[in-house]
Amino acid sequence: MATVLYLDELSKKYGSLQALDRLTLQVEAGSIYGLLGPNGSGKTTTLGMVLDVIRPSGGSFLWFGKSISKETKQRVGALLETPNFYPYLTAKRNLQVIADVKQADPKNINKMLDLVGLGTRSHTTFKGFSLGMKQRLALAAAMLNDPEVLVLDEPTNGLDPQGIAEVRDLILRIAGQGKTIVLASHLLDEVEKVCTHVAVLQSGRLKANGPVGNILSAQDQLLISAENLAPVLQLLERLPYVAQFGQEKEDITLTLTEGYTSTDLNRDMFAQGIVLSQLLVRRKSLEAQFLEITKEEA
Amino acid sequence: MNLLQIEFRKIFLYRTFWVILGIYALLLLLSIYVSKSVLISGQTVGASMFEFPGLWARFSFIAYFFNLLLGILIIVLITDEYSFRTFRQQVIDGLSRKELVLAKFCVALGLAVFSTVFLLALGLIFGLLFSKDKSFSAVLGQIDHLSYFFVQSVGYMTLAMFFAFLVRKSGLAIIAYLAWAKLVEPIIHYQLDDSLDKYMPIKVFGSLTPTPGQEIIDQLTSPTQALSPAWAVLPALGYIGLLLLGSYLLLRFRDL
Repeated sequence: MATVLYLDELSKKYGSLQALDRLTLQVEAGSIYGLLGPNGSGKTTTLGMVLDVIRPSGGSFLWFGKSISKETKQRVGALLETPNFYPYLTAKRNLQVIADVKQADPKNINKMLDLVGLGTRSHTTFKGFSLGMKQRLALAAAMLNDPEVLVLDEPTNGLDPQGIAEVRDLILRIAGQGKTIVLASHLLDEVEKVCTHVAVLQSGRLKANGPVGNILSAQDQLLISAENLAPVLQLLERLPYVAQFGQEKEDITLTLTEGYTSTDLNRDMFAQGIVLSQLLVRRKSLEAQFLEITKEEA
Repeated sequence: MNLLQIEFRKIFLYRTFWVILGIYALLLLLSIYVSKSVLISGQTVGASMFEFPGLWARFSFIAYFFNLLLGILIIVLITDEYSFRTFRQQVIDGLSRKELVLAKFCVALGLAVFSTVFLLALGLIFGLLFSKDKSFSAVLGQIDHLSYFFVQSVGYMTLAMFFAFLVRKSGLAIIAYLAWAKLVEPIIHYQLDDSLDKYMPIKVFGSLTPTPGQEIIDQLTSPTQALSPAWAVLPALGYIGLLLLGSYLLLRFRDL
């Protein structure tokens, strides 16, 4: 698989502050790569550098195996931090400016406005837009010349739940067309829902990276309940594959050792004549995992 | 050409731009209209103000003061791009930093063409209405002053560009620009010997449109050391080049 973006020991210093410390990673074509980290961890700095607006203090990066140029820029659509447009121009005229800059086909303007659901608002000035609409216009601008790669920095920041759902849906739809997406976010659950790969950043350092499944989901947690909890607790004591369990009010939470699933548990319960009233598979709390990752060597 | 089209798209519906340009045109028209009652070197200029061929030098000298306003307009256009973060977006989208400077320089050239043509129109209207000598040779006799004015106008706007790229905030950039043109450089002139300060940027730009009646003043006091308009063109172009280079380097070595 082709490497779309390669970072080699990329670093940025703001005065004495090391905003990014020798970040090395690579993004493969077709992946949705999440940059995950709390605010101030270096996500925007990283994206700013690979997008040619922040000067690296050290290290290098390659787009499609080449140094950044007008040619590579036209293969990448990006939105960094905020939607940046002329407030006094309408959505359509703003996109016309961008189409000229990107040398994109002007016919795409209406198509993209429709895609992000702004077709009917194309003659509203940008300053009259809600934050959600601004964010969607920025997505339309990023996709204007049908780029192979989309770089999105906190694309759901400041949106209401419906807006968040819409933007995520849009991202998944775009990814479905085989595009590569680099997504920075401080929302674990967003990265988990959307991304295929993730790099976890903290204070400018890379803490972990790899496929989302490896990094973010360790053992699942099960939550069960039954009318009578006493026999359940007795059985759990005896089952060898139950790693740990504990009672929480009416429910019991437990984790299983690797290789076993909720199916095994349910079968054994039923074999002993216990009928569960609830059996829920819960991913281990992402926050807890994230804290685990960032705690190491901290 | 593409750059000019992009700039035009930005400006075309921008009310602030047209308001400032309108104020510029109106003030220039007004100043020229009332100029015949102005005292220069102790005598009213009177009807001689609109006499060809000296009209071109006198009009250029009046228009010289309003170049500051064109500079402010350029500062507004550039600092806007910083506050809207559109420079940043355009670099992400494919423009180079060189193109950002070049695009704004194109706007400055466009504005200088506009102001020069506007001055030409005013000169022809007032001259043909009021001048006694309307012969072909008189009308075109000293029309070269318009070309000096054009260079001066571009010069003032590139100086403004430099301050806009340097400071990035509109209010501060305008203050810095005005302070340099009207305060800092004049103070330096005062400290320096005439033979040196005539090569300072504002002085060089000013030499392109000398004070009308300078010859009379020179007879009364020691003659000025200022460069003649023709001699000032070369250093003026040099400054324009340096200021553009400076603007580019500021963009090149700073984060957007």
